[in-house]
Amino acid sequence: MQIREVFDRKRFVFLDGGMGTQLQTRGLQPGQKPELAALEMPDVLTAIHTDYANAGADILLANTFGANAKKLAGCGHTVEDVVTASIACARKAADTTGALVALDIGPLGELLVPAGTLSFEDAYAEFAQVIRAGTAAGADLVFLETMTDLYELKAAILAAKENCTLPIFTSMSFESRGRTFTGCTVESYAVTAAGLGADAVGINCSLGPKEILPFAQRLCRSVPTGVPVFVKPNAGLPNPDGSYNLDPDGFAAEMKEYAAIGVSMVGGCCGTTPAFIAKLHETFSPLAPAGKIPIRRSCLCTPVRFVEVNGITVVGERINPTGKKRLQQALRDGDSAYPCTQAVAQAEAGAQVLDVNAGLPGIDEAATLEQLVKDLQAVTDLPLQLDSSNPEALSRALRIYNGKPIVNSVNGETETLEKILPLCKKYGAAVVGLALDKGGIPPTVEGRVAIARRIVDAAHAAGIPDEDIYIDCLCLTASAQQEGATQTLQALARCKKELGVRTVLGVSNISFGLPCRGYLNTTFLTMAMSAGLDLAIMNPNTPEMMAAVRAYRVLTCQDPQSTDYVAAYADVQIQTTQTSKSAATVAEVSAAAPGGDALFEAVRRGLKAEARAAADAALTMREPLDVVNTSLIPALDAVGDGFEKGTVFLPQLLQAATAAQAAFEAIKAKIAASGQAQGSKGKIVIATVKGDVHDIGKNIVRVILENYGYDVLDLGRDVDPERVVEAVRQTGAKLVGLSALMTTTVPNMQATIEALHAANLDCKVMVGGAVLTPDYARDIGADYYCKDAKASADLAKQLLG
Amino acid sequence: MERRKPAAIRRATALRYMGASGWTPDDATTALLDKAEKQILAIAAPHVVWRVLPLAVLPFDNCGTDLARHLQGCDKALLMAATLGSEIDKFLRRLELTDIASATAADALASVLLEQVCDEWEAEQRPLFEAKGLYLTGRYAPGYGDCPLDLNDELCLAVDSVRGCGLAVTPQHLLTPRKSTTAILGIADHPVTGTRAGCATCHLKETCSFRKRGTTCFNQEG
Repeated sequence: MQIREVFDRKRFVFLDGGMGTQLQTRGLQPGQKPELAALEMPDVLTAIHTDYANAGADILLANTFGANAKKLAGCGHTVEDVVTASIACARKAADTTGALVALDIGPLGELLVPAGTLSFEDAYAEFAQVIRAGTAAGADLVFLETMTDLYELKAAILAAKENCTLPIFTSMSFESRGRTFTGCTVESYAVTAAGLGADAVGINCSLGPKEILPFAQRLCRSVPTGVPVFVKPNAGLPNPDGSYNLDPDGFAAEMKEYAAIGVSMVGGCCGTTPAFIAKLHETFSPLAPAGKIPIRRSCLCTPVRFVEVNGITVVGERINPTGKKRLQQALRDGDSAYPCTQAVAQAEAGAQVLDVNAGLPGIDEAATLEQLVKDLQAVTDLPLQLDSSNPEALSRALRIYNGKPIVNSVNGETETLEKILPLCKKYGAAVVGLALDKGGIPPTVEGRVAIARRIVDAAHAAGIPDEDIYIDCLCLTASAQQEGATQTLQALARCKKELGVRTVLGVSNISFGLPCRGYLNTTFLTMAMSAGLDLAIMNPNTPEMMAAVRAYRVLTCQDPQSTDYVAAYADVQIQTTQTSKSAATVAEVSAAAPGGDALFEAVRRGLKAEARAAADAALTMREPLDVVNTSLIPALDAVGDGFEKGTVFLPQLLQAATAAQAAFEAIKAKIAASGQAQGSKGKIVIATVKGDVHDIGKNIVRVILENYGYDVLDLGRDVDPERVVEAVRQTGAKLVGLSALMTTTVPNMQATIEALHAANLDCKVMVGGAVLTPDYARDIGADYYCKDAKASADLAKQLLG
Repeated sequence: MERRKPAAIRRATALRYMGASGWTPDDATTALLDKAEKQILAIAAPHVVWRVLPLAVLPFDNCGTDLARHLQGCDKALLMAATLGSEIDKFLRRLELTDIASATAADALASVLLEQVCDEWEAEQRPLFEAKGLYLTGRYAPGYGDCPLDLNDELCLAVDSVRGCGLAVTPQHLLTPRKSTTAILGIADHPVTGTRAGCATCHLKETCSFRKRGTTCFNQEG
């Protein structure tokens, strides 16, 4: 067969069937590595391939599924040896019928960060090694299959794209709920794999033909016309004894449905045999694949969240340091917790996409943006808008992003277009185009549409389709250029109509310099939505703006039965009061705390919202440090004492800590806004050691230490000893807290302590974790053992004051 | 294989994991647990995979005295691996960032849910084996007593946990996603119970808070 027949889609192309089950039937022993079949039982392996070729398979998958360095470790054979021998067996069989040989690649068998500890870069390197070996051995194509993690698949696709020129087939396995084990949807898989340049996409394993059918239909609708779709189902569902419930006839009968949905390649996975493929061949040979009619839609995604941009879509603007002192501080300190909380808060408020910007003078934007994207995608499911015009920063962020992002932005300048559009194309991202160029923002509608047209043309030339282009006609400040608002909206409407692209606006700019900005923002947003705005970059924490969005969706029939609107507001009562800013708010405040300390009480009783409100009130009258020392800490001490006496239980202690944390956010915001470096009682670096992924204990310690006013730099989990050393050196922290939960990671705790000692750093080390004891702590060189979070706060008090 | 979720999570056990054994939670804590339970049950995607293998082909030779005692009188083993899936991990990370009290409650509830899933699976398996005149011991997991955590690598490979339920072992032999477990059940042709690791080989025996209170971590009533 010629490879072009795959892409012609004139006839059905046949893939082969199960390999593992065939090897077992033909003599593979329990405990024997199937990866080594080409070396240990080459004749058997070749015979299996030959049987598939004779059954009609056009593409034979070499027995290289697990031939990676991790799985072959300790077996005495190199990746190159195993891949070369395996391809040779398949080639021998293929030569008799003219079939093609695929380098078959399965998951590495280890989970990537953040689920596991394998880095994206290491995964890439593992795949690249196999791909180079397969190419050298003469494979005709690369077949990435049985993937369940989109991130791992992305690493594999990039490794294939960058290390060979062979066609790339990709295949994921879905559970009956229509998601992979890691929660990836069919649509997210489709647009991400196709966006990264997969040449054919499919579904294999896990389920039988009947169960996979609806997912295959969705896949056919979600990938571009030129990308063929294939399926390799199991031989039905497993019986209790491990066999499968379909025979070749039953399998072929269920498979027949695929002829009509746009699939053009068929084969089998677990439990299928040459007899299944022969029957499949007999059934499908007289048929021709049905046309595949993809839906052209604008979309962005993460593995678990597929966001179709069809109607107004909210992009949260809060993760942008411009004008935000607290975030600037966090980015400078390398503190990921703060931007991550901002992400979670915006998601809860109704954002569907998050803008991420790390442009801050004096920091390495590329490194910061890359790290920020890694940290954010560990906690949020929302797609990201990578906000930078720095090609290096965009390139690094796009590479490690998991899904299909949007780049914000290019403009009409040739140089920017030439640098950034190819990156968007390579990584399958959508792109925002600003209607401005070297000459600035054109004053006329016509001028902006002309630049937009230029951007659209350049994007097309780079291979980016209309549905992935979002034009920003630029929102000017009404206080400076009042006539600008209408012009922006006119330009927006024309771009949509004449260019057939999506539109985006940073809505809040409109009100800069005017009082009660919410009024202007909401009105302008409403006008823009009416003019056809698709992406609104705004603050979703502003209730009136989210209300305008939800109301607009009701009034334009985008919220059927007003379901979302009712869900958001059924339990809400609107209270609008306009108060004079010049009159003091003291009266209100004192009413909130009649004769007592409202903050103390709220924290003691573990009431989060009340604690935040009480802290805001207290800060209008008292200095931040005074609020910490006279209200917060006494409340925490009271709860802590109760905990030690056994009258307060851990859940209550933690609720108090959460309330105190909410209060502390108010205090930190106040301190950051004042621009003074005050309030810290000392710096503490904490981390869960290398190799350990259990970090709830460390997180409890972080919250409690922060509650007591310490400046905690939390390095996260699975932290290299060198990073701890570096952080202590940079911050000058006098106390380091290390956590390890398992016996196998305690040696890394010891290594971290030794690294700190070797670096001659003047700091004490406290350790904790389920498997530690005071003796054990001493043995590994720690200065202190803390049995719980309260103990670590007591120790910090003793050491740092 | 996907598994059914129970209607409710055993609250008393969750409280025990939160260091509050036997405590009748106050209203605020009850509300916290109610909400976390609903979320955990919604997000969890429990899966279990298992396989029977003869002890002769399993690498249990240098795995300590506790496992050997557990498998006394058995000639085969039923190996299993179970997980609640990786979306639970992300949910817990999110909570740990914003609300440590809810996070701790959700973490404990997820651990109990995993146990319940395993209990239910085990209760289904027993009669299937007894119908063939075979008996199972209880579940024994690597890492307890003197049985090394490394054994997780072989167990996961044997049951093909990566393909079967998305569960993988890290280079430090930890299971990922976080809410996952493995277990070994001995199979014999006569009734067997197996033996828990007990306290003798536990390296926490000197500092254990359960023992201080005169109970043990594996005593459900404790």
